[in-house]
Amino acid sequence: MRKLYPSLTMAALTVALAGCMQGEQDAKVTINKNPYPSTYQPLPQTTVLINNATVLTGTGTKIENGSVLIKDGVVAAVGENFTAEGATVIDAQGKWVTPGIIDVHSHLGVYPSPSVESHADGNEMTAPNTSEVWAEHSVWPQDPGFEAARAGGITTLQILPGSANLFGGRSVTLRNVPSHTMQGMKFPDAPYGLKMACGENPKRVYGSRKILPSTRMGNMAGYRMAWSEATEYKRAWEKYDADYAKGLNPTAPARDIELDTLRGVLDGEIIIHNHCYKAEEMAMMIDLSKEFNYHAGTFHHAIEAYKIADDLAENGNCAAMWPDWWGFKMEAYDMVQENVAIVDAKPGSCAVVHSDSAKTIQRLNQEAGKIMYRANENGFDITEEEAIVWITLNAAKSLGIEDKTGSLEVGKAGDVVLWNQNPFSVYAQAEQVFVDGAKVYDRFDETYQAKSDFLLGQE
Amino acid sequence: MKNFKTSIIALALATSLPAAAETIAITNATLHTVTEQGVLENATIVFDQDKIIAINPAKVEAETIIDAQGKPVTPGLIGSMNQIGLVEVGAVSRTRDAGDKKADITFDASLAFNPKSTVIPYTRKGGITTNVVTPYGGDDMFKGQTFIVELNGEFDSVVAANQDVLVGLGSSSNGSRAINMQKLDKKLAAAKEASAKKDDAKIKDADKVLHALLAKEKTLFANVDRASDIMQLLALKERYDINLVLVGAADAVVVAQDIAKANVPVVMDAMRNLPNSFDALHTGLDNAATLTAAGVKVAFMVTGDTHNAYQLRFNAGNAVANGLTKQQALEAVTVNPAQIYGVNAGQLAPGKRADIVMWSNDPFELSTKVEQMWIDGDEVSTQSRQDKLRDRYIAESDMPRSYTK
Repeated sequence: MRKLYPSLTMAALTVALAGCMQGEQDAKVTINKNPYPSTYQPLPQTTVLINNATVLTGTGTKIENGSVLIKDGVVAAVGENFTAEGATVIDAQGKWVTPGIIDVHSHLGVYPSPSVESHADGNEMTAPNTSEVWAEHSVWPQDPGFEAARAGGITTLQILPGSANLFGGRSVTLRNVPSHTMQGMKFPDAPYGLKMACGENPKRVYGSRKILPSTRMGNMAGYRMAWSEATEYKRAWEKYDADYAKGLNPTAPARDIELDTLRGVLDGEIIIHNHCYKAEEMAMMIDLSKEFNYHAGTFHHAIEAYKIADDLAENGNCAAMWPDWWGFKMEAYDMVQENVAIVDAKPGSCAVVHSDSAKTIQRLNQEAGKIMYRANENGFDITEEEAIVWITLNAAKSLGIEDKTGSLEVGKAGDVVLWNQNPFSVYAQAEQVFVDGAKVYDRFDETYQAKSDFLLGQE
Repeated sequence: MKNFKTSIIALALATSLPAAAETIAITNATLHTVTEQGVLENATIVFDQDKIIAINPAKVEAETIIDAQGKPVTPGLIGSMNQIGLVEVGAVSRTRDAGDKKADITFDASLAFNPKSTVIPYTRKGGITTNVVTPYGGDDMFKGQTFIVELNGEFDSVVAANQDVLVGLGSSSNGSRAINMQKLDKKLAAAKEASAKKDDAKIKDADKVLHALLAKEKTLFANVDRASDIMQLLALKERYDINLVLVGAADAVVVAQDIAKANVPVVMDAMRNLPNSFDALHTGLDNAATLTAAGVKVAFMVTGDTHNAYQLRFNAGNAVANGLTKQQALEAVTVNPAQIYGVNAGQLAPGKRADIVMWSNDPFELSTKVEQMWIDGDEVSTQSRQDKLRDRYIAESDMPRSYTK
């Protein structure tokens, strides 16, 4: 395996430093953790003041007759009606404003429309551990699904590789802006995620090939073997770094792209996103994280999260859930429509509503609404300002970007959706969508309705 | 799941009065008749355990009188093109009875229908009282025949078996779409010729089905998307004078006028708006409105997983947000499917089956729930296994959850 060469400048610098020391040191071997950097640039920004709106801030607060000022790409002010000089004013009488909607579980771009063989790029089903693959290397930015999601108020989304493997690879978090490159959509400085999958998928895919895992205990064995190996890899690099710092001239460990990702988790730089439906399996994944000293991150498709809501809250795990998908496999049989509400009721919890669907991502507001209404029919008392958090701030927390987006707070990104009415109505539609203070969608102005290259000229 | 009857006392009364079937009157309702009568405020509907007896009678006579307090009352919604009662858990092969490699035009999946499926009470939460179950067939282009069930959970809930014929046409991953279109044409031609000879004694079952198509005793439900396939089918309909319904029909908007002129209904998913294949480049949330405006009769189905068929009413609501009127959307889940599938329901009118739903509010809204519903005049429960699970896990108990029942 070829070792990584640092950039020439870096190499020159380290060589120069080494030259000052006693004894000969080779150039320090370092790993570039960001080799496919974001080139995202906000679209043209203007100063926008939205007045007279019902504002759900994403922090659990609702402001009647509220105003939101977006300036220089960020939320500049939020409050009761106010004015701002030089701003384009939108009179939002009767309309609602929320933070941009965030989907923590999408396969847009990696399983795009049209879903033809040539486009099936989301699931590297060739080995139980493919931590070396990065979903961003599969993203087709022309997927018309991005446009459809934008019309549904989606401003940020995490693209995950599929769920055939114990370790499916790295996720990428994207801004939902049109771009002809993946890098042009990449959310600057968002942490990477690692997709893991519990349960039926890995054991089915590899069991049918007569290799481990073919059982749930095989799944656990696979995880434990991998984390054990990653622990050794981390130790080897740390020893190398320490020895080098001491002035020694150690040989760098062989670079392993697969283990780089797992090490990133052990170092707290990469967040786990674990497809894991069942209560008992989530509990074991939490124990596994304690055995190997990392955080188990977010459980996705957590159909049975309601059974272990206490555990999830105590251990700081987010659970990303649907309101009503069920019955397509055994691990999805114990659905309850109030799942999100039950998880959310625990102090310190992090309940998220996710889509995993190119269709559903367009209506996460309705998905959250379904949960709120069903829960309130059955003994809960959830308000709109609380329900919106499931698809905004909690989603941002799950992705590790809550300091940048997810709520309408001064200084955060100007990611804003203007809805024609209460977003928890079946009739609600996003009228305008802003990303970093730039208008990226307008239901009534074709200037702001992007169209994929693919759909251009199709008769 | 056992049916929830109005009450045990009411039942006892009903059995002690054998002369008359129990009648129920709902008064003070906002009745969405889905007939020419439109929406009637402060209205009364009277029904028994079979049919609707009267709308706004001069005098209300009934064993049970329910004050709707102004709430909307609609016909029960009609689901279709799903596998309710044939698939319990999608990935568990032994719970899947909707298809078979050897299935052909004669395939009668109603023999496998399970009225005790947990999907049924859950689907009732969506106000769906009748469902047209659709096998997904096998290798043959003919997927079998639809059958109609009432979602009351009773063993006699199959209302009509071997109803209509399903055919899958369009793009193929291993060959040309032309082959099946050609085969269909030839089969119909051959059947037409054979039926002219009237040699009934030795006719094969498959040919009998084709003859029923030619006699318009059955309808051909064709699953296609691309406009060119739709045009081929419209020509076929004309050539053989058969009843045709398009299912899916992503590109129908491209040839909406032709479809309307041919008087061919469309069964579609209102939520479909992505170009998921080269056959489906013209999907859109406003397609239902466009087709309806062109004069095409539209019915809604929920594609994807059968377990989410209950969402039909939300799909209708989304169609309203994208250009349909509420009345048109209600028609697309009641009277239109009733007419398309030949079900004596879908409207609130004397003589129609007493499939009735009372809603807390606007039937399409996320915030609305089913207050009460009746199938064939019997009140049915909307409690499902999911409710029991929820209640178990929100209950306070010192014992393991398994003791909470």
